[in-house]
Amino acid sequence: MQYNSWLYLFPFLGGSIILYYLIPVKRRWIGLLFSSLLFYILAMKNLVAVVLFTTATIYLGARTIEEFNEQFKLKKKELDRAARKELKSKITKKNRYIIALLCVINFGILFVTKYFNFFGENINALFHALHISAQIPFLDIFLPLGISFYTLSAISYVTDVARGVCKAEKNYFRLLLFLIFFPIITEGPISRYGQLGEELKAEHHFDYKQFCFGAQLIVWGLFQKVLLSDRVNMYVRAIFANHEKYSGFPVIMAILLYTFQLYMDFAGCINIARGSAQLFGITLEENFKRPFFATSVNEFWRRWHITLGAWFKDYIFYPISLGTHFQKFSQNCRKHMNRYYAATIPGIFALFAVWFGNGIWHGAEWKYIIYGLYYYVIMVLGMLLEPAFVSFCSKLNIDRNASWYHTMQVVRTFILVNIGMLIFRSKDIKTAITMLGSVFQPWHGKSNFWQLAFNRGGLFKLDFLLIAFSVILLYFIGKKQENGHSIRELILAQPLPIRWAIYIIPIVLIIIAGAYGPGWGVADFIYAKF
Amino acid sequence: MDTILEILETIKPGADFASSTDFIEEHLLESMEILQLVSELNDEFDINITLPYIKPENFKSVESIYNMVQEILEDE
Repeated sequence: MQYNSWLYLFPFLGGSIILYYLIPVKRRWIGLLFSSLLFYILAMKNLVAVVLFTTATIYLGARTIEEFNEQFKLKKKELDRAARKELKSKITKKNRYIIALLCVINFGILFVTKYFNFFGENINALFHALHISAQIPFLDIFLPLGISFYTLSAISYVTDVARGVCKAEKNYFRLLLFLIFFPIITEGPISRYGQLGEELKAEHHFDYKQFCFGAQLIVWGLFQKVLLSDRVNMYVRAIFANHEKYSGFPVIMAILLYTFQLYMDFAGCINIARGSAQLFGITLEENFKRPFFATSVNEFWRRWHITLGAWFKDYIFYPISLGTHFQKFSQNCRKHMNRYYAATIPGIFALFAVWFGNGIWHGAEWKYIIYGLYYYVIMVLGMLLEPAFVSFCSKLNIDRNASWYHTMQVVRTFILVNIGMLIFRSKDIKTAITMLGSVFQPWHGKSNFWQLAFNRGGLFKLDFLLIAFSVILLYFIGKKQENGHSIRELILAQPLPIRWAIYIIPIVLIIIAGAYGPGWGVADFIYAKF
Repeated sequence: MDTILEILETIKPGADFASSTDFIEEHLLESMEILQLVSELNDEFDINITLPYIKPENFKSVESIYNMVQEILEDE
């Protein structure tokens, strides 16, 4: 059931809302659990057993960890410093074993369902090259819905219990709801128990303002997905599928429009998810903060798919960099290098794991690994060259705070991100390189761009006008938000006729101009396949 | 607290830590700088800052960093 489908929006979401508000406030979470289980079972049938099992493992693991932590708290008052330290180290070790076991089990399930065939194919290719006759079989496995998202949430939950960030949940079904809450199961945001778990536990009374905000967010999400993302899909698909026929401007447009498509698709889905949750009074974490206002790729990743970046930072980057071996390495670096490089070099090693992980998380294909490592290389080069760049700017008297410099940084980041998107969308890395090369060759095709756009993508000039208008609208909305304004509060402050016009126009546009029905190749939500 | 401020100023020269209200929100401290700060604090105060202490609220001001160091010293 897609979030932009009639089935989701009216019978399912409508029914869930009625059920939720009919139940006494203390038991409303049960209504959400029922809706979430229904959503999952409709999509996955008996594969729901996988998420039930994952929940059971983290439920038991977290309860055990908390018991150890409680024992330490009780005993530590009676002990002297040395004994306390020893006991703490023992408990930390036990907790680490439990977390390691839970990682093996749950990442193991993710590995078998998502990556087994990828690694099998590569190992088979290696066997073939080495003239070894052994073969790893191909497994015909169905990927459980949301497994890449809920596995990360599950591991973050047990780790947070061990770190004392949140308490272990005593009710198995509440924990299950945290993992399969229907607005987040398809594309996230990747939630933390300390945030979403508490939201799901809290008693939510009907709040008209929150409900309206939720509905507005859903409409905005539908506008992004149905009106914009799906509109450009056919053109993008046509060019990428026959990329060898095109060069120059049509290819540039395909890359730019794909970036636009992916942003509108993913942000649209997240807005529908956040809006859906808000109808129940539940706030979800933000996953996007105007990513194309970023001045560097590091900043871009703090604004794009925020919850994924934060997960890798908290559960991969810090544990690696603060580990005993890395701390010793860092101390050694400080003895032999200047302060900047001594601090940067150990981090660079830890970042490799982050970006390799980020790449492969997106999919079991080499292009996704390259996609992650592409950002890694840019970031590492940026870090290593920073001192040289600072001295270069100071010698040439370049003011790095000047507005022209800021604009140049935004444009540079935008170009780098678009190359990343090209890798992400291409069939394989070879295609991405070919397409990038073809950008610099002129277009010699017989048809001009408008004919091409119409013939290949079914797009009229009016469609491009709508897209251009939307980009300008997004820019001004983003600019306002960057300056700390809440768009929804600004709309609320308008006179009634303007306010209603702002609500109604997008709905009318979605109905009359949405990219659905005959003639449109509507795309599934892109991140849902991850 | 002065020692902490000195460490911060050596990690990121030119950044205005003294008048900032939230180092994390204002991006004065990002993950790489936090790593460097942790190493410096470990050396300076002979402590071991472990993962449970790596949370935004512990790094938002000189005072919160100081409180974290005190907590670790008491806990150890």
